[in-house]
Amino acid sequence: MAKEGLGLEITELRLGLPDAEHVTVVNKNEKKRAFSQIDDENSSSGGDRKIKTNKSQVVGWPPVCSYRKKNSMNEGSKMYVKVSMDGAPFLRKIDLGLHKGYSDLALALDKLFGSYGMVEALKNADNSEHVPIYEDKDGDWMLVGDVPWEMFMESCKRLRIMKRSDAKGFGLQPKGSLKGFIESAAK
Amino acid sequence: MMNYFPDEVIEHIFDYVVSHSDRNALSLVCKSWYRIERCTRQRVFIGNCYSITPERLIQRFPGLKSLTLKGKPHFADFSLVPYDWGGFVHPWIEALAKNKVGLEELRLKRMVVSDESLELLSRSFTHFKSLVLVSCEGFSTDGLAALAANCRFLRELDLQENEVEDHKGQWLSCFPDNCTSLVSLNFACLKGEVSLGALERLVARSPYLKSLKLNRSVPFDALQRIMMRAPQLSDLGIGSFVHDPESEAYIKLKNTILKRKSITSLSGFLEVAPHCLAAIYPICPNLTSLNLSYAAGIQGSDLIKLIRHCVKLQRLLIMDCIGDKGLDVVATSCKDLQELRVFPSVPFGNPAAVTEKGLVAISMGCPKLHSLLYFCHQMTNAALITVAKNCPNFIRFRLCILDATKPDPDTMQPLDEGFGAIVQSCRRLRRLSLSGQLTDQVFLYIGMYAEKLEMLSIAFAGESDKGMLYVLNGCKKLRKLEIRDCPFGNVALLTDVGKYETMRSLWMSSCEVTVGACKLLAKKMPRLNVEIFNENEQEDCSLEDGQKVEKMYLYRTLAGKRKDAPEYVWTL
Repeated sequence: MAKEGLGLEITELRLGLPDAEHVTVVNKNEKKRAFSQIDDENSSSGGDRKIKTNKSQVVGWPPVCSYRKKNSMNEGSKMYVKVSMDGAPFLRKIDLGLHKGYSDLALALDKLFGSYGMVEALKNADNSEHVPIYEDKDGDWMLVGDVPWEMFMESCKRLRIMKRSDAKGFGLQPKGSLKGFIESAAK
Repeated sequence: MMNYFPDEVIEHIFDYVVSHSDRNALSLVCKSWYRIERCTRQRVFIGNCYSITPERLIQRFPGLKSLTLKGKPHFADFSLVPYDWGGFVHPWIEALAKNKVGLEELRLKRMVVSDESLELLSRSFTHFKSLVLVSCEGFSTDGLAALAANCRFLRELDLQENEVEDHKGQWLSCFPDNCTSLVSLNFACLKGEVSLGALERLVARSPYLKSLKLNRSVPFDALQRIMMRAPQLSDLGIGSFVHDPESEAYIKLKNTILKRKSITSLSGFLEVAPHCLAAIYPICPNLTSLNLSYAAGIQGSDLIKLIRHCVKLQRLLIMDCIGDKGLDVVATSCKDLQELRVFPSVPFGNPAAVTEKGLVAISMGCPKLHSLLYFCHQMTNAALITVAKNCPNFIRFRLCILDATKPDPDTMQPLDEGFGAIVQSCRRLRRLSLSGQLTDQVFLYIGMYAEKLEMLSIAFAGESDKGMLYVLNGCKKLRKLEIRDCPFGNVALLTDVGKYETMRSLWMSSCEVTVGACKLLAKKMPRLNVEIFNENEQEDCSLEDGQKVEKMYLYRTLAGKRKDAPEYVWTL
């Protein structure tokens, strides 16, 4: 539903990928696997989980006016999320509210974990050992960059920069999720 | 009998009729009254800027002095209307200026206002006094500077929740030294620094200043000096309230506040340190209005301590971090409360925030309550039935359950019976917003009982076309209907098309109506503009009749199709 309303951005994201059709198929597989895992863990029905996922991402709900969202709600609760990187010996915290989009986020992650190979992970995702993913408010792990920034910001609970080999085990098939953003930021 | 009086006497009598709807009724009585009303009307409200042309307005009411205009649909507030949809004020100001209308007051809501518009406004009307901008966009502090410099009789500049580009200019310094006419100044929504010296001098030379709302860049010590110089203030909006309680400035402010008994309305606290709040306790017993809905720094317990002192409150706007416990305190402390708005403090709701328990407590403690906006975590039928019984005077009842399709958590039933009780008990209800799990039954109740309902907002509700039909058939006074994510389709849309000419507007998004049905409606009703938003650029060539409409906005108009629509808006 939200994706339909934001078709342009979705299209932009797709244009950045080498094979749109293939990615679509992979995304479907990804979602199915995520639901299966949740079923096993939580003993909840996939249908309910799916409905909740849709609800939490509905544009314009709850009906809080844009001005209030910008000027009041973010101030009250800083949007700090934990960031971990496989291979790094510590976690960091980052305030998503301070960033305007994925480009900002990519640069911030670079500063936090640059010495652990983050630069390569972002700039050359196809060959990198690391892939950024995030846990959303329903507990699903998603690829960073797949949804519009506002949606990501509202649903992201924590970030993980994981090894590519582990990502495949999760059912995530990352190809350049933040690559376009870091390149545009570099311009 | 009235017609025996000469026109001069009737004119004099008409001057006492101030309500827009009453004036409208007068003009329909006979041609003579139409003519007299036309020549004497000074204040006009236009609920949709595309419903009539500026030229026709001016022709009809040549004595116009005060104009209120609304632009974008209400759902623009929630990111459902694209930024560049329309709602431009410039053509209106151009026409008013060109025809030398003696405009003195302008109120705009959800309109696009440019610096060019403000510049033209500031130069074109000699006696311009009052500008109120609510949820507008497109202008910067440069436009404000023009107003300050050119409007020699400016009394009111009220900026509420606008997106303003701040050029860090010294717009306050542009008020000339002989400007002493200000009664109301609100720049709380500005982001940037202001010239504190200019502000303090302006306040000092404005003996009639009653209302002042500051932005977050005005620091604590400046606030103290301002309060010292303006003892007559009754409405104060505090920007920043952060300081060391041991400091001289804090002690000075405390002493200043102890002398001020005139303040009855308080708002803001955009930046606040809770330990400073004790300084304002002496003001609280006199307050009738308190707006802390942007005071994110005041959490539950501090909020409760503050509100305990506010025993005369009639109007309260707060965040949901007050909790049900805090609403209990409101219920016991604020017996005169008439209006309550509770906003969410975090995007998807705070699980520790307010529920049906808080609302029930309020309804028991505040019997005068007639206006409610309530964002909450959950609601039950039993609670709504109790609220309806305790507070039968509601004219505005807006309930927003953060989980849009949540049923009654006690019974797992839809909330039909609860809202049914509200509309059955509150016979003066004019505005209603629904949320939670709802079937067509709730619309049957609304159609049956909500005789005075003017505005209805529906989301994620209903089961079939019948739901919408109940509303259209039953609510005779309906003006605005907003529907999103409901299964209402072509049958509902096309059954009573004459109804839409009695309404101001209808919004439907993510429903079941098709392009073909909208075309048919537009063809049948030439005085309606039926707009379809086709934001998906992949389909920019043509619209097929069977295609579902993502967003549709329909409004009655005497002006025909508008010429400023962007490409993706199709006016059928």
